[in-house]
Amino acid sequence: MKEESTPVSAETAPRKHKPALNFLLLSAGSIFTSMIIAGFLVGYVIDLLLETTPLFLLSCGVLGFVGGMMKVHKLLEKMSLLDTGKAQKTEPKPARDE
Amino acid sequence: MGTVEYIQHHLTNNHIGEGFWTFNLDTIVVSFLLGALIVLVAARLGKQLESGTPGGFQNFVESILDFVSTNVRDAFPGHNPLIAPLALTIFVWVWLMNFMDLIPVDLLPYLFQLVTGDSHAYLKVVPTTDLNTTLAMAAVVFGLILYYNIKCKGLLGFIKMFLFHPFGKFFVPVNVVMTFIEEVSKPLSLALRLFGNMFAGELVFLLIALIGGTLAVGAAALFWAPLQAILDLAWLIFHLLVITLQAFIFMVLTIVYLGMAHEEH
Repeated sequence: MKEESTPVSAETAPRKHKPALNFLLLSAGSIFTSMIIAGFLVGYVIDLLLETTPLFLLSCGVLGFVGGMMKVHKLLEKMSLLDTGKAQKTEPKPARDE
Repeated sequence: MGTVEYIQHHLTNNHIGEGFWTFNLDTIVVSFLLGALIVLVAARLGKQLESGTPGGFQNFVESILDFVSTNVRDAFPGHNPLIAPLALTIFVWVWLMNFMDLIPVDLLPYLFQLVTGDSHAYLKVVPTTDLNTTLAMAAVVFGLILYYNIKCKGLLGFIKMFLFHPFGKFFVPVNVVMTFIEEVSKPLSLALRLFGNMFAGELVFLLIALIGGTLAVGAAALFWAPLQAILDLAWLIFHLLVITLQAFIFMVLTIVYLGMAHEEH
């Protein structure tokens, strides 16, 4: 805590691995599962409104699964990009959209 | 009372009303009292602030403030005066509510039963083991996420996010459903994680307490009673870490989600 006595503002500090992102990674599992649950929930509500059970329940469940996979993959990709601070200096930037 | 009844009794809220309009009185009262405790302590400390050589408690509070503001600086990209106080409130309040889990499981319900004179009165003292609490907090965070999304990206930008993310302009209906699922999953993961961890922790405390509850008077008690004490102490020490970590994760993820809402693209 004491090392904070001479603060370096976030704007001037070099871009580094942000510890808060670790916690997003820690919760990758629950993000994935909650995407699936949210998918089923949304599908259930749509089915209830349109009386199309189980069409949207299943399709939104699948969408939630796909979205969860994508989200976790994106998160891991972002982490690996941030994590290799040294690698970024020596190696050319990988051709990624992020 | 059998073991199943014992566990069910401890995991049932003291409630009034039925169905949707059920009010869990113990959850509401305990969480309100803990919130009032934070306000009172903060107000009292605010009057006694020392700038020269602060006392032990002021030092302790300052270290918590320092810790939270460091996390906000790390995880939040822009500047918003609401974020740090919100993060601090969440961290301290959730931690205090989780801390109720460390009070011996039978103590407060037993005292409550003595006071009310009803030997079967329900009392569940850990508000975060009630899904209503965690979902309510997550719903507030979700409301803020929506508000800042619309404020920072504009209504048009927000609608664009729904229409064209993540599969581009050729899959608009799929994008709308997918983004909707993604947004709903944020408060859901916040609420379920905290609830799940605290509920499981409470259940383990109850199972350990059952060792003593099923003791017969005899030589075997010389083995089971110390075992219960050791297990309880071990789980308590471990759970101290869990309650702090869960409060911290809830706070950090709130900051991260609000930070995402502030990003322009």
